[in-house]
Amino acid sequence: MKLHRLEKIWLIFGITMLGVFLLILGVQAFAMGMHPPGSEGHQSIDPTKVSETPPFDNPSLRQIGENEYEAVMVAYAFGYSPADMEIPVGATVHFTVTSSDVIHGFQIPGTNVNMMVMPGEISRISHTFDEPGEYLLLCNEYCGAAHEFMSTRIIVK
Amino acid sequence: MENLTPNMKRTDASIKSAHSTESEPSLKGTFASVMMVGAFLLVSWLGVFLLFLARS
Repeated sequence: MKLHRLEKIWLIFGITMLGVFLLILGVQAFAMGMHPPGSEGHQSIDPTKVSETPPFDNPSLRQIGENEYEAVMVAYAFGYSPADMEIPVGATVHFTVTSSDVIHGFQIPGTNVNMMVMPGEISRISHTFDEPGEYLLLCNEYCGAAHEFMSTRIIVK
Repeated sequence: MENLTPNMKRTDASIKSAHSTESEPSLKGTFASVMMVGAFLLVSWLGVFLLFLARS
């Protein structure tokens, strides 16, 4: 098969670009342990018994290490429990979230925290809050009539 | 024999011209378009990737 010289150049360019993208993706996934939210050990929960199933029977912010917290949260129409959490600067928070009714979103604008919260599923994501301030946590999946009011704050001091 | 020669000549010429148009098409425009699409992919991918790194 005879290829035009320019054809060879763009094929090499395209294949190299794809190779570089996949290499970076592979290094991040396998060497750095980056995964989509909730993919590390799939966990499900009976969505009709969220309020009786630990740890969601007591949604709260717990300190689990030095400047490390676990936020067990329930998303519901139209809010999050617990609301208005306060954490110190530099704290790493592991969010463990489920929904007690419909599909909700879980996004902190300006960070990489952005996931879906589905009834029957437990979604997890972690973030280190290096900058002090007030972070908005909001629902980005239309969940009902008062969807636009579904938000809470995370205060980092 | 006299009839054959011009025939052969014609065939040679047509093969030659067909060969030259097949092997030497100008792909400069295609190349430029492919590179533009490639540059767009590269820049947008890098933009999203750097944004992700800056936020994590």
